[in-house]
Amino acid sequence: MSLDRFLTQVVPVRQKLYRFAFRLLGNEEDAQDITQDALMKVWGMQEKMAELQNMEAWCMRITRNLALDKIKSRKYRLADELDRAGELPASPQQSPHAAAEQNDVMVKVHVAINGLPEKYRTILQLRDIDGHSYQEIADILDIDMNDVKVNLHRARKTVREKLQNQQVYGL
Amino acid sequence: MDYNRITAIVEKYWEGETTLEEEALLREFFSTPHPDLPEALLEAAPMFRYFQQEAVKVLEEPPAKVVPLSASPFRHWMKYAAVLLVAVGIGYALKQQGHRQEQVTIAMKQEELNDPQRALDETKKALQLLAKNLNKGTAKMQKLSYFNDAATLIEGKE
Repeated sequence: MSLDRFLTQVVPVRQKLYRFAFRLLGNEEDAQDITQDALMKVWGMQEKMAELQNMEAWCMRITRNLALDKIKSRKYRLADELDRAGELPASPQQSPHAAAEQNDVMVKVHVAINGLPEKYRTILQLRDIDGHSYQEIADILDIDMNDVKVNLHRARKTVREKLQNQQVYGL
Repeated sequence: MDYNRITAIVEKYWEGETTLEEEALLREFFSTPHPDLPEALLEAAPMFRYFQQEAVKVLEEPPAKVVPLSASPFRHWMKYAAVLLVAVGIGYALKQQGHRQEQVTIAMKQEELNDPQRALDETKKALQLLAKNLNKGTAKMQKLSYFNDAATLIEGKE
């Protein structure tokens, strides 16, 4: 792989990789480190690039593996839910009470999704937030497409049940 | 928008049978508040609202720090100053060391001379050295005078 190819095909994916790493690690600094490491690793494995079908998925897979390694090695604790609660923006046109209520609802959804096992959570986020196709998710996670569908279905079901149990309704 | 149609898509969503377009449509629909939503939609609303919020959330990596490599000769003046200071320090230390050694030698000499016996020994030693060298000189002179005597004898002056 030439430098040109790296600059045109890998570097533009950087923001996506960072987003992905951030969701997995819940922390800006570590997400930055992992993104950097992933780019270094991609650069180091350049001879492999010629055979690749989907460069982006491959980069994301490397990022995910590095992030999971990090979580494992440090017995990582995901960012405190309370820390993130403040980040959820409230719509300015709503009354403070409605805004607070909605914020509360968003936090509950966030907690429900973050409480999923990593595989479910990642699949759900890749599909429902990032809008990836089943095939892309299968490439990123290096699993079968049917597994993606089955796991996604289970993930949605789990979140639905959690929210039903907590009686989280409406906007 | 027709709630029935949305309800049908939400049903498909829970079954995992929606397409990406339909999911995008749901996110779009739930991103604005709707009055009088049927219960089936009320249940799904927070989730899609959350997805939409997360999808548009800007999660930008801060740009990597770029360190300019332009090197001005005065950029590292502190380094140069430090090197200079260290050099001056070492030089001064060496000088002090030499000076002190000299002083010690002189002091030792003086110490020796203060002791009469040692002073006598030292003087003897010096005089012996002088005598030895003087003897060396007189021996040569004797040879020379011997040669001189021989020369006058041959010339028959005497």
